[in-house]
Amino acid sequence: MSNPEIDATELARILKQAGLALAAEEVRAILPGAAIVAAMIERVRRPLPREAEPAVIFEAEPGR
Amino acid sequence: MSEIPTIAEAAKLIAAKKLSPVELTKSRLARVKALDGQLNAFLLVTEERALADARAAEARMLAGTLKGPLDGIPIAHKDIYNTAGIRTTAHSRFLKDNVPAEDAHTVKRWADAGTVLLGKLATHEFAFGGPSFDLPWPPSRNPWNIEHFTAGSSSGTGAAVAAGLILGGTGSDTGGSIRGPAAFCGIAGIKPTYGLSSRAGILPLAFSLDTAGPMAWTAEDCALLLQAMAGHDARDPASARRPIPDFTGDLGKGAKGLRIGVVRHFFEQDHPVSAATLKGIDAALDFFRQEGATVRDIQLSPAADYHACGFLIMIGEAFALHLPWLQERFGDYAEMFRHRVAPAALMSGPDMSQAQRRRRVLAAEMRAAMAGLDIIVSASAPGEAPKIADLPKWTSMEKPSFTMPFNVTGFPAISVCTGFGASGLPVAIQLAALPFQEPTLFRAAHAYERATEWRARRPALAAA
Repeated sequence: MSNPEIDATELARILKQAGLALAAEEVRAILPGAAIVAAMIERVRRPLPREAEPAVIFEAEPGR
Repeated sequence: MSEIPTIAEAAKLIAAKKLSPVELTKSRLARVKALDGQLNAFLLVTEERALADARAAEARMLAGTLKGPLDGIPIAHKDIYNTAGIRTTAHSRFLKDNVPAEDAHTVKRWADAGTVLLGKLATHEFAFGGPSFDLPWPPSRNPWNIEHFTAGSSSGTGAAVAAGLILGGTGSDTGGSIRGPAAFCGIAGIKPTYGLSSRAGILPLAFSLDTAGPMAWTAEDCALLLQAMAGHDARDPASARRPIPDFTGDLGKGAKGLRIGVVRHFFEQDHPVSAATLKGIDAALDFFRQEGATVRDIQLSPAADYHACGFLIMIGEAFALHLPWLQERFGDYAEMFRHRVAPAALMSGPDMSQAQRRRRVLAAEMRAAMAGLDIIVSASAPGEAPKIADLPKWTSMEKPSFTMPFNVTGFPAISVCTGFGASGLPVAIQLAALPFQEPTLFRAAHAYERATEWRARRPALAAA
């Protein structure tokens, strides 16, 4: 689970787990953006009705 | 003929044999030579191809066999549109020598309509994350004031159209990349309904959000250009299979009877806009009321909900697409691209699924809010273009976008100019409609443009 309070060590670990082994300086430069994205993730995680299905195959028009 | 005709004006003159496509093309090429050293709108000028296209159009004109209103019209393509035999870079060092074998579907459609290809236009790297000063080519500059930003990612198209280097061009819009530059550069630009125009042969950013659309000086010109872009293409799995309406058919109907909803909380509370932007929106709404439209406020979820949902899907899809290069050549991307895409690593599988669930809920919410409405109105941008050198790195992520909601829902949306701020830079309004209701957007935008003075003013740089 991500955390808006994420620090550089944790961010480096997550990036490495995703396949990006980056220099410490690069990780520090990404950190402010990572905090913004973490806040977005928290916003998206808010509960939805159980019947809300994902828009996996997005359709602009129902039934198309 | 004015020094910079619209497409509609030029088409009438060419049809009447009063304007030579060759002379029109030569005058645009002269403008490119005179002005693009300041604007950086073009990554590549295809002068020989342009003159050959123009001579062919002129021959058709003289023979009375013109293909339609785009025959002989000088255009250019955003450099993520594949062009056969012509370098297509995505403004990235990864593709600096990339020469596609085939045209993108929409590139071929415009060529078949007789357009004259002047070249390839600047973008943000892979249509995301600029402006960047650490790429092989500089970012485009705003013709209203070259110290200012064009927005992106269809930055070169915005600058080239506003300065009259071309009469129209292609953009792509994943979170606002057509409507943002249209707003900052004072032109018109439409993100069509998701699925209306083919994405085949266009370098992707985020598959479920990407749309291809036109940018031009007026809404009428955008309608003419979209007519030659829209339509089913089996090579695009999201392409809609449905009849294409006449996008100019409703242009003369005015605004009477239109039912307009205003998402006022987006631009007054969620992300307050500049005084000039607010004044422009309110004046446009007054115009619509005076013309006999009904106008009422509507309520949606906070703009931040739409922004978070769309942004996460965008960087999640972009991360998956670019992962091999991100792993092997991270530092070869521009800082603005790599630092904005990399945080997608924070998302878990359930997070991506939750974003897609929320997307469907938001699309249903917007559709329900549009019951009894033809158009919804919001801002296109928070205000006038900021100075390009002063842009904080994370600005566009911190505050909710006005354009992303319509990428999330797939609805069509157009940005049109509503005047100018105290600094002389343009401001804009955004009109959106239900899926595949582009004719209604063009009708409303055209009525507004015809009734106001904003289309009579060009950047001083372009008039010089």
